[in-house]
Amino acid sequence: MRIHEQQHGAVTVLKVDGPIVGVDADELKGRLLQAQSDALGRLVLDASGILLIDSKGLETLVDVADEMTKTGKALKLSAANETVRQVLELTGLAALFEHFEDANSAVRSFL
Amino acid sequence: MGFENVVKRLTPRHRPFAQGESMVAPIGFGIVGILLAVIGASAWWVLRTQRASVRAARLDQVHTVCNLLSQSAEVMMARKQLSSLRRLVAEAGREYDLTQCRIVLPSGQVVADVHPSGITFQKLPPSWSEVSQDVPADSSNDHVISLNYPLDVPGRGPARLELTAPVTYPSWSQWEGPAGVGAIGAAALAGLLFVYRRTRSRLQGMGAIREALISLEEGEAVAGALGVSANFGPEAGAWNALLSEREKLRQQIVTDRARESVGYNNETHRDLAAACNTLSQGLMIIDRKGRAKYLNGAAAAFLQVDRADALGKDVVDFIQEQEVVDTIRAGFAGSGFRRTSVEVDRGGGTSGVLRFVIRPARGTDSAAAVIIIEDITQQRVAESARNTFVAQATHELRTPLTNILLYVETALEQGDSDPALRDKCLNVINQEGRRLERTVGDILSVAEIEAGSYQINKDDVRMDEMLGQLESDYEAQAKEKQIGLTFDLPPKLPVLQGDRDKILLALHNLIGNALKYTAAGGQVTVSAETVGSRLVVEVTDTGIGISEEELAPVFGRFYRASDPRVAETPGSGMGLALAQEVVRRHGPVRVRQGQHVHADAAAAGGGRTR
Repeated sequence: MRIHEQQHGAVTVLKVDGPIVGVDADELKGRLLQAQSDALGRLVLDASGILLIDSKGLETLVDVADEMTKTGKALKLSAANETVRQVLELTGLAALFEHFEDANSAVRSFL
Repeated sequence: MGFENVVKRLTPRHRPFAQGESMVAPIGFGIVGILLAVIGASAWWVLRTQRASVRAARLDQVHTVCNLLSQSAEVMMARKQLSSLRRLVAEAGREYDLTQCRIVLPSGQVVADVHPSGITFQKLPPSWSEVSQDVPADSSNDHVISLNYPLDVPGRGPARLELTAPVTYPSWSQWEGPAGVGAIGAAALAGLLFVYRRTRSRLQGMGAIREALISLEEGEAVAGALGVSANFGPEAGAWNALLSEREKLRQQIVTDRARESVGYNNETHRDLAAACNTLSQGLMIIDRKGRAKYLNGAAAAFLQVDRADALGKDVVDFIQEQEVVDTIRAGFAGSGFRRTSVEVDRGGGTSGVLRFVIRPARGTDSAAAVIIIEDITQQRVAESARNTFVAQATHELRTPLTNILLYVETALEQGDSDPALRDKCLNVINQEGRRLERTVGDILSVAEIEAGSYQINKDDVRMDEMLGQLESDYEAQAKEKQIGLTFDLPPKLPVLQGDRDKILLALHNLIGNALKYTAAGGQVTVSAETVGSRLVVEVTDTGIGISEEELAPVFGRFYRASDPRVAETPGSGMGLALAQEVVRRHGPVRVRQGQHVHADAAAAGGGRTR
């Protein structure tokens, strides 16, 4: 798993390439929490490169979403593929996130 | 009813009777009054009857005496026995207590009298007028009986007996009957009082309950005021038990309502707190001593404090923005808070720009002000980008327009004498005109995208024709910049189902960008291949490239890469955004690191090719 951090104006976009499984989830959690803290919640997770996500990965996303909810923010997911979307829908976690077709749309939502 | 009305109008303190007496006392007074009236009437009737009896007896006695005297007088006067007659009259007068008893001739002369001095005729004549005189009528009243009896003296003539007798009522017998009636009445009264005494407490209880019911009807709700003494009997006890039960129910209702209200308030408070925590804006309430009374999660995040630690602390101790602190201090030092907005730029990085809106708290005594904190960093960045866009767009419009005007002027002045120069001018004017058209098209497209009205009108698009046109369009420009432009196209290209103008616009932007950011001696290659049902067009250049961090944002509107070589080249920052939007609406678009721009649009008709 590789994590690319990009700045779209004042918004931090974390793009993940590869599956989120096992220990990778911990690394992603740390990066997400750090990014949301630094950017005051202006954070987008570009999920276009996430091919697979396991329970640990889901737990990570839920933890980050909960953490952001405490400050009135939501974790914005962009370009999640069909597999990831189905996993989120089937586990009933889709409502925890804001979904966008692409990262730019997600960035625009901060305007 | 009159008595009841009086009792109803009187407050308990001013009522003339003790509790419960309002019903008992009228009954008692009524019975006693009736009893006394009956006793009085009975006594009067007995007295009247007794007097009538005494008078009747006296009258009978007087009549009897009259009959005896009249018979004796007629005989004695016929025999001239005057002395015996006078003695008889005198004895009768004494014996029967007669005030007057005399025998009178028609001439008015008195032959015999109970009082000897009253005799006016000493010797009885042999005869007197036979004409009988009218006998005076009897005149009697309650105290005197006066009778006149006619006499017929055989052989002599008429006479009359006048008799007056007083009626004497013995005093002891006069009051005997009324006294008896009175005694009986007194005994009855005593019995009644005895019964009243025995039943009074029970009646008082009923009366007290009745008074309580009247008070209840008048609106009295205090149980203490409605209760009756337990000494009034079992009815009073039952009534008090009912009141007690009612009071318990009332208290239970009040308690339930209070609990419900408190519970509702608590629930509402929790709901409000939860709602405030869902706000992306920070919300903080400052009390009148300048301490943080409440702050939501977003406020704590913006101020970079722990909520629990911040609560109750002086806000100037943890708000780091001096301008905000000064505004708060001014609010406490002056006449109060006024709605104020303070924007604070926290410097570089992602700390961003925060807007603090300070408002006075209305309708509460404990809170002084409310601070709303908004993160407007992205808005400020967007504003900056728009400003840059306006400047760049102005440049993009002005440059081709200037060129057009310049070459038009040259063509007009020298075109007639130099046909080659005129053709060159017209060619430049044509190129600049199309460049201007594309720029205006870009601006309009961005405006449509922003407005949400950007639409794709699909039709058959012959890609071989389009790419050929593009090659023709950019051939001169590439040659002028000494850049190699190659269109590596297969012999047959599919016909797409898409919006020709917009696909052309997207490819113009991709190829134009490649030429724009490639230095002289570089190479730009446009290739296309059919992959399944899709057409993949790649624009590859040997230009300055795009860093990995900017691969995604480079497609943002008004975004220009941070490379200083990009800044040296005019551009609106719209081209790639538009290209992405066009291709996204036809299919996916990807950018590979380096110099590739990879557009992938679905071919029509399941891969139909020509």
